[in-house]
Amino acid sequence: IECACSGIMACSTCHVVISKDWFPKVGEPCEAEQDMLDLAYNPQHTSRLGCQIVLTKELDGLVIKIPASANNLMDFVPFQD
Amino acid sequence: MPFAGHPDYGHIGALVEDLLSSQNKSEKQQVVVIGQGNVALDCARIMAKGISHLVDTDITSSALEVLKNGVQSTVVLGRRGHVQGAFTIKEIRELTKLRKEGVNVSFLVRSDELDLGMTHASEEELEGPGGRPKSRIDKLLRQAAESFYDESTLDEKEISLRFLLNPIEFLPLDDDPSTLGKVVCERTKLEGEPGNQSAVGTGEFETFPAQMALVSIGYKGVALDGMQNEGLFDPQRGVVKHVGGKVAEAAGSKGGLYTAGWLKRGPSGIIGTNIMDAKDTVITILKDLAKQPIYKKGGDIDKFLKKRGVSVVTWSDYENIDAAETRIDRKRTEVQPREKFTTVNELLVAAGV
Repeated sequence: IECACSGIMACSTCHVVISKDWFPKVGEPCEAEQDMLDLAYNPQHTSRLGCQIVLTKELDGLVIKIPASANNLMDFVPFQD
Repeated sequence: MPFAGHPDYGHIGALVEDLLSSQNKSEKQQVVVIGQGNVALDCARIMAKGISHLVDTDITSSALEVLKNGVQSTVVLGRRGHVQGAFTIKEIRELTKLRKEGVNVSFLVRSDELDLGMTHASEEELEGPGGRPKSRIDKLLRQAAESFYDESTLDEKEISLRFLLNPIEFLPLDDDPSTLGKVVCERTKLEGEPGNQSAVGTGEFETFPAQMALVSIGYKGVALDGMQNEGLFDPQRGVVKHVGGKVAEAAGSKGGLYTAGWLKRGPSGIIGTNIMDAKDTVITILKDLAKQPIYKKGGDIDKFLKKRGVSVVTWSDYENIDAAETRIDRKRTEVQPREKFTTVNELLVAAGV
């Protein structure tokens, strides 16, 4: 998804919502991240900034929701259902 | 702004330097900033920090020199309360952390002013839509109001964030009528419905001695030529009249005029807000193109500009500017990201056009 500020927590374009089951593994946002989530459209309890989530083996299979306000750059990729 | 290196404002530095150095030695050096958006807070923070704390940033050297050791006292004031403040939490948090980061600037907030601004309507604003960010700001400011600064910091610098003060008069110095001496403010109280409270004068006044006053009260959109006559512009709000981003059609027009951003919504929101806004307008454009394609093909803009004699700086020209600004021999310190060029001529020379 789009990342306007190059991943330095200075915007909220990469705002994603982690599925409830996965949130404990992903973890809570830090204070600085919460400050930017304040400015995202409709932040949820399990919202995170995508740029701040470091992918690990533990997160393989992670399920996230991309909110309507985020720009999904893969929208035009014809994935097989 | 001069510290960002904007070519149109290079002359401001000398003016600011003049005002800041004109201080009567027996008085505290004080600057008043009128407004409570992020730009007002930025001004206060930059001015207070001074050279030593900004030398490694990309502030232009000419602006940096003007700041010297930082302004001793900066008052940032606004006529409404903290719940109505246009600032966002990241910028407030930066001010609360200055001391922790070794910057000798205290951030002062008065709890009595936080209480004064907590009308019933303000409480509802905290609970309503958009309340989450404001609640976090309220908590942070209350913490800041309870911060304790010990005696040893008394001679150092401070930024005061003051609320419910409406500036009503600039007064000159008694012995030099050509220069600012004080800013007179009237204490206000909030009246009105949640989301629409206004500041009403109470007849009590507070006077701030000041060598300089900065006004940072936002932007208002301006109509393009002819727009007013066509009834396409709302002068009170400073926005273009539109439906889904399509500018209301003037009689006899072919349509095809759209708007996005602050001119469309008013001056609020950050990059993220504008992205959503632009999407809305683009959806409208695509719908219109599907219905009635007036312009079917994009024109060749390079040819068009050439025909009109417009010179252009290309991306690779910009890359020349980037390389020149970041050259090691241009920078004050190794850590400084770049030393910007501050005039259009220098920029064009660096671009190599």
